[in-house]
Amino acid sequence: MLNDIVLQVLQVLAVLLLAPLLQGFILKAEERVQRSTGPSIFQLYRDLWKLFHKQPIVPESASWVYFAAPIVAFTAMLIVPILIPVLTDRPLPISDMADMLGGGMVLTLGSFAIMLAGLDSGNVYGGIGSSRSAMLGILAEPILILVLVGISLLARAMLPFVVNHTLLDKPAVYWSPTHVFLVLAFFSLLLVETDRLPIHSSTHIEIYMIDEARILEYSGPLLAILKWASMMKQFILYTIFCNVFLFPWAMAQRGTVLGEAGSVLSLLLKFLVVAISIVVVETIQSRLRFYRYQEPLAAGFLFAVLAIVSSQLI
Amino acid sequence: MFLAHVSSLQASIFSLLAIFSLLLAFVMLGSHWLRNYVYAFAAESWLIAALSAAVAYFGGYKELYVIAVLTALFRGLVLPYLLMGIVRKLNVKREIHAVLQPASSLVIGALLVMFAFVIANHMNFQTGIAGQVVVLALTIMLSMKLLGFLMLAVRDEAVSQILGLLVLENGIFLGSQILVPGMPMLIEIVILFDLLIIVACFGMLIRYLLVHAGTTSSRQLNRLVG
Repeated sequence: MLNDIVLQVLQVLAVLLLAPLLQGFILKAEERVQRSTGPSIFQLYRDLWKLFHKQPIVPESASWVYFAAPIVAFTAMLIVPILIPVLTDRPLPISDMADMLGGGMVLTLGSFAIMLAGLDSGNVYGGIGSSRSAMLGILAEPILILVLVGISLLARAMLPFVVNHTLLDKPAVYWSPTHVFLVLAFFSLLLVETDRLPIHSSTHIEIYMIDEARILEYSGPLLAILKWASMMKQFILYTIFCNVFLFPWAMAQRGTVLGEAGSVLSLLLKFLVVAISIVVVETIQSRLRFYRYQEPLAAGFLFAVLAIVSSQLI
Repeated sequence: MFLAHVSSLQASIFSLLAIFSLLLAFVMLGSHWLRNYVYAFAAESWLIAALSAAVAYFGGYKELYVIAVLTALFRGLVLPYLLMGIVRKLNVKREIHAVLQPASSLVIGALLVMFAFVIANHMNFQTGIAGQVVVLALTIMLSMKLLGFLMLAVRDEAVSQILGLLVLENGIFLGSQILVPGMPMLIEIVILFDLLIIVACFGMLIRYLLVHAGTTSSRQLNRLVG
């Protein structure tokens, strides 16, 4: 029992501590593809350290929402790792306090808080960023819901651990058309939700920015918390994509120290594969015009609908 | 019937091949560029050839190997080559004034697939041939036909309309490969040569249109010229 509680804390710590490494690796890899050196993969830790030691400057027009939003976003990202299989594929003590839809809601709550923060200070860019991300959220949310419904139709359960076991035990389910479509739909969702091309721009501070615009008014420790929260969101989405959808294998079963270390290693390897495919997409894709951003989302929606249609065949 | 007793591995191979060819039909629906349509069509034909070969291997139909080779050769190489020739001759690289934007046509395509699934499921209930591969093949056949119709309806470049026709035909061919694999070989060969003639005729028609009307877009051919 104590062992399980320690594991649950470790899951949260793994997400907290490894999230900057993932983002750092993607940034480094993108630069390497373009034949430049790029920052070190540990640069983001140094950035966070630096930001935590800076003095915060608060706009005069800011209300309590300005201070509450980063905390809410960060806390939401700390709750989700409790609910999903990060290091082990056994259910841990309180991992059944919410199902997949509940986890999706907590994940979206973080984005919602940042959206409010963007509107709060009255800055023009914040307003633009919030309106754009609200528009993207309206288009992306149905896909997320459909993907979650599709995977629960496939596994006949709403808990991510059960889904993982179903995919692990039945190769016929793993190779079924429904699962292929769900993976494709989730991948397009992953591109949208983690600020990647073809919708988001690759350079961040510019007129078409979406997520950067919402946090433009922040500085110092609050900015560090927001950045960390967005990196953790990326890490969580990658974890769900790898451990629940794409690679349900190679996770610790019994909870020994060696097994957990092995599953951290395998998690990093899985992320390497996904991150490299993301880098490929970012390198070969050009950014879409702002009014064409419904196209990748329409493709994601199509995959999700096809998944649900073909899940009726099984 | 051959499909009544396939193993689960064979069923998953068939369904994956069929589903990827359906996805390529969606690639054609979601793209702006004429060149992409031709590439997607070629890839789709190769997948259908692979499907024929798989049916031949697992079902023991010797003549289907010939059909697979002919499909790969004609639909996968000759027709795309001819179509690329036509695309190169045109001074149009992409669909600009399509009636529906790609995003909305993708969503309508998804609805059409759902419609096809409902029909296929209903047919399965009525005839009582159980088996998911049958329903899947029927669904994909019907939905590729509907997607071909959709492409014919919403695109106005002549090349896209040929491709819509070819997708429609590919759908029927795919369905026939899975559902009734024992079709006489003569009919299949006749269909292949018919396709060749269709594309050749369209090529001549497009040349004629270019010389006499100056455009191949059906939208601009609506105007009366006298």
